[in-house]
Amino acid sequence: MSAGAVAEPDARTEQAGDGFTRVRLLAGPLTAATAPALRAEVRAAIDQGRTALLVDLDAVTGVDAVGVAALLEARRLLEAHTGGTLVLRANPIVCRALKETGTLTAFALWTGPGM
Amino acid sequence: MIAVEPQGPDAPPPAEPRPRPPESGVVISRGTRVYLRTLAPRDLDLLAAWVDDPFLERMVGSEFLNAYKHVWDKSPAFYEAVLTDPTQVVLVVEANRGWDKPVGVVRLFNIHLLEGYAFLETIISDPRAMKRGFGVEAGKLISYYGVDVLGLRRIEAKVYEYNVLSMNSLRRNGFRQEGVLRQAGFDGERYWDLVIFGILKDEIDAQRQKDKVHLPLESSEGNGREPA
Repeated sequence: MSAGAVAEPDARTEQAGDGFTRVRLLAGPLTAATAPALRAEVRAAIDQGRTALLVDLDAVTGVDAVGVAALLEARRLLEAHTGGTLVLRANPIVCRALKETGTLTAFALWTGPGM
Repeated sequence: MIAVEPQGPDAPPPAEPRPRPPESGVVISRGTRVYLRTLAPRDLDLLAAWVDDPFLERMVGSEFLNAYKHVWDKSPAFYEAVLTDPTQVVLVVEANRGWDKPVGVVRLFNIHLLEGYAFLETIISDPRAMKRGFGVEAGKLISYYGVDVLGLRRIEAKVYEYNVLSMNSLRRNGFRQEGVLRQAGFDGERYWDLVIFGILKDEIDAQRQKDKVHLPLESSEGNGREPA
């Protein structure tokens, strides 16, 4: 994992208590079979005006290309809104997947304990 | 499966396990002839047979199948490795009617999400399923999936110069021949040219606009083996 990707955890932590909505994935893989649920949840949150999201991937046990694509889409959708923000809570498995796909630096990551 | 919760001091307990996908896989895309579903553990039995098929080896030369046989030694762990590989999407091709087991595998691999390109591989393993348009439709469905879900803007495919069936299938889906890698393939006996095909997002969208049911391939269109 690159240091730059996690260079702002404190700043993210401060913002986390200020209007963020947490999207927490249940334990299991984020793949072609499960990513549609994440997409739907993100779209629903945006429709409800929640454009500052913390996506908690701490319990994710594996990520495929569709899972990473879902995260990229979430970022794109949120950033289309003024003030829209996406922060990922990523465990080592998720970080490795983001690194392998060259998308690690595309996300603001929170790798600290809790949220 | 996913909880959306306002952030606050009463943070939820650790995430509970998510129900595993059904053993039969999850259907990702449906066409008129075939549908695509996610890989399931039981599919490894089929892969184990396909990797030893000399016809498939010669026609496709799949790195996917080779990895299962030679790198993973047909280990069950291959399933989890494929399922959580962020650089590929492997989908099983099932015929809508007339088949009681999968007819092949189609995958997008070497996926570059930020750059928006990937490579396509289609394997129709059942000889009776060849020249029925299954491979054409499977390639089409996963191409749509690549554009819609992965955000791809370009898909590439490589074909051995003697695999006329695959070349015709790609052309039917709007792929264009973009070049030739001279003597880049080796079948164990001699070197062969690899023909490079590519398609762009706009061309995939155009193909989708004129989408229609394809008739089975004429026998003169390919060199797939005849049913046993």
